[in-house]
Amino acid sequence: MAIFKKKEIAKNEFDQVIVGTSLTKEAWKRLKKNRLAVVGGVIVIIYAIIALCADLLPIYPYDEAITVHRNLRPSLTKTAGDLMLEQEMKNMFFQAWRQGRLELSDQEDAQIEAWVKASKTNDVWDLVYARGMEAIEDGSFEWNSSEQSRIDRMLNQIATETQITVNRVSVQYEGQTRNIEAMDYEELRDLYASLLGVETDVLEESLYNEVRSSVGNEVRANDSTLSGDDLEAAIDMEMNALGEAGIHDRASTNVIGYIEQLALRGANSDVQALIDSGSIELPYEGTFDLSNGLHVELEVSLMHQRRYICGTDYLGRDLLSRIIYGSQISIAIGIVGTVTSIFIGILVGALAGYLGGKVDYYLMRFVDIMYGLPYMLLVIICMAIFGRNIINLFFALALVSWLTIARMVRGQIMSLKNQEYVEAARSMGASTMHIIFRHMIPNSLSIIIVYSTIRIPAFIMQESFLSFLGLGVQAPYASWGSLIGDAVSSMALYPYKLIIPSIVMVVFLFSMNFFGDGLRDAFDPQSKNQL
Amino acid sequence: MTKYIIKRLIGMIPTLFIIVTLSFFIVRIAPGGPFDGERALPEAVKRNIEAKYHMDETLLMQYGRYMFDVVRGDLGPSYKYKDYDVNTLIGVSLPNSIVLGSFAMVVALIFGISLGTLAAVKQNTILDYFPMILASFGLSIPLFVFAPLLQQIFCMWLGWFPTTGWFMNNNAPLRTAVLPTIALSFAYYADIARLTRSSMVETLRSDYIRTARAKGMKNSTIVFKHAMKGAMLPVVSYLGPAFAGILTGSIVVEQVFLVPGLGKFFVQSSFNRDYTLIVGVVIVYSAILIIMNFIVDIVYAFLDPRISYK
Repeated sequence: MAIFKKKEIAKNEFDQVIVGTSLTKEAWKRLKKNRLAVVGGVIVIIYAIIALCADLLPIYPYDEAITVHRNLRPSLTKTAGDLMLEQEMKNMFFQAWRQGRLELSDQEDAQIEAWVKASKTNDVWDLVYARGMEAIEDGSFEWNSSEQSRIDRMLNQIATETQITVNRVSVQYEGQTRNIEAMDYEELRDLYASLLGVETDVLEESLYNEVRSSVGNEVRANDSTLSGDDLEAAIDMEMNALGEAGIHDRASTNVIGYIEQLALRGANSDVQALIDSGSIELPYEGTFDLSNGLHVELEVSLMHQRRYICGTDYLGRDLLSRIIYGSQISIAIGIVGTVTSIFIGILVGALAGYLGGKVDYYLMRFVDIMYGLPYMLLVIICMAIFGRNIINLFFALALVSWLTIARMVRGQIMSLKNQEYVEAARSMGASTMHIIFRHMIPNSLSIIIVYSTIRIPAFIMQESFLSFLGLGVQAPYASWGSLIGDAVSSMALYPYKLIIPSIVMVVFLFSMNFFGDGLRDAFDPQSKNQL
Repeated sequence: MTKYIIKRLIGMIPTLFIIVTLSFFIVRIAPGGPFDGERALPEAVKRNIEAKYHMDETLLMQYGRYMFDVVRGDLGPSYKYKDYDVNTLIGVSLPNSIVLGSFAMVVALIFGISLGTLAAVKQNTILDYFPMILASFGLSIPLFVFAPLLQQIFCMWLGWFPTTGWFMNNNAPLRTAVLPTIALSFAYYADIARLTRSSMVETLRSDYIRTARAKGMKNSTIVFKHAMKGAMLPVVSYLGPAFAGILTGSIVVEQVFLVPGLGKFFVQSSFNRDYTLIVGVVIVYSAILIIMNFIVDIVYAFLDPRISYK
């Protein structure tokens, strides 16, 4: 019947049906009027969709490093091969200019000298390249024979070199087909040992030593002053911090890489035969069964036909895909961290607010003292001591960021405590927990959600801050902060590495801030004048 | 008032105590001691080293000893920078950080308050929009994006400033301080300007301002003498968190502009697991923070006669 009631038409002005609007409806109306907030919300949603669908997008793997594609500049039109050739020619033009074969006007010579002094390498390269190409055009400059052969070799390389990407390796293991990436450390170790035909113990030891030496390299990279016993001690400490699980984790990653290489080597001759016979068209996807029981799915493509819209980093990894996967991590940490801090905050705030008295006093004093702590420093200590990985990062952040929410929830609960419906529930014998979690929290949830939306950018900034310092997300993973941090040291030569991730991050933070502010103004119009 | 100050002074002690305790125990429960790995050492030598650093005692005794040392102002020897103790390392670098931090705070306050007030007085004009748009940039651009971008634009492309260096060392020119200060103060300018504007708008609407206007006072007198005092309250209470932010922010700025400050040691020591240095830096940072909070509270009490001193 209720459905029909709504459609009743008023007969006169005294007979109107008044439909009450809820707080949410009213807020929604206000939010829609705030154009900046709507635009911000749409941008946030676009980011979220792109980050979520990262695996489905046609981008290169974020951890696939092609060494010859190091530090390529972003380009929409040119392929990696073109850019490599261009870079090589820039170098050779510069050499030619030094040798006096490429002649420029006196003014330009002076300009180049000045640039070289100011180490503006990019300007020098661009100028000699432009002039050099003009000179080749009008015939006043020719490559000498060694340069010409270098160019020819490179052109040949670009036309023929192929990149074989292993998409999936599976194996018949204990009667079923398993993807090796889904196997745990023991299974991988046994499988690899049987593939190589060595004893498990021997393999285990060599895997351990590999992890140890890679840890050693990291330690040395962080602090080059260490040597001898100090270095050994530092490595031991890192290994202890990793623990058995961490070591196995890294060893598994290594083993997966080895098995993929093994599979690649096994399939290589077949693939080469196919390419040489010309019967396949590149890019080509196919599966191969190897004699050692591995089953490998491959993708063969021309390596230098790749296009890097955002350029590549210092290892030759695609920056676009690193940014997209980095967004995934940054946004995920922002959301998951906020949700965790909401949970802790609600629990503490609700208990303090509802129980009152001594519980309230001590909980709130605790919160006050925590407020006085330089908590970012504590997070840094935790990251330094308990190991730098994503889980620790996110725990450390969540543990210190629930304070504001706890205070807010406490205030809400205190104001709701004496409402009639709470009294009614209490008089009907509802338990404290029931009243708190079934009646009071749902009633203050909208405000909690709004405030936590405002917290998300702060969370992302903190995570990126730590990653920037090298204390957050570790390679091969990326986050906005670590991408920017990596770019800072080489920004004179490769400014795009700094600028592109920065723009991506700032646009997101902007939209998130506008969206959050809009939400707050919509739900809580009185708060407009607060920070 | 004196009573209030004394009470607040005493209130600082438990916070500092908790910080020292927390840092001490976090560092001690961490896996691996600083000398564990030195396998090559004979047992006796290792025992000697441990005895030297008092690591052969019970945890509680170590804690008591450390507390006693900290109270005397001795933060212990550095485990990694041999021949240095933490006091020396901090003593060399802290002045640089403090100068940078105070520059940033002063710049943020001057620009934040003046532009915020301007925006409030000239509401909905270009003089309102421009500072507020600038402020929303400051809110959304993280420091570690802003600082490298500044360096890229003003040092690399325009060449106006030297890329690195710090004016307190090696006779570098004073302008080396300009970019780090701008970078560090930008976010706090944004917050202070927004706060000033909103509380100024609120204050200018209040009854006593209307009375002053009715009496025919000059506009400038009303704004600077009557409204300013009330409008500054939220700004003053924001200064505490702002100091905390500037402390952590200076870690990034020091890293980007290579300022030889305390932040560099902090990051280095957390990579090296130089435990005494980590705890020492945290104690110094916290002490600065707590003292600043204390000063802010006192200033607040002076500005707002409604606050009770009891």
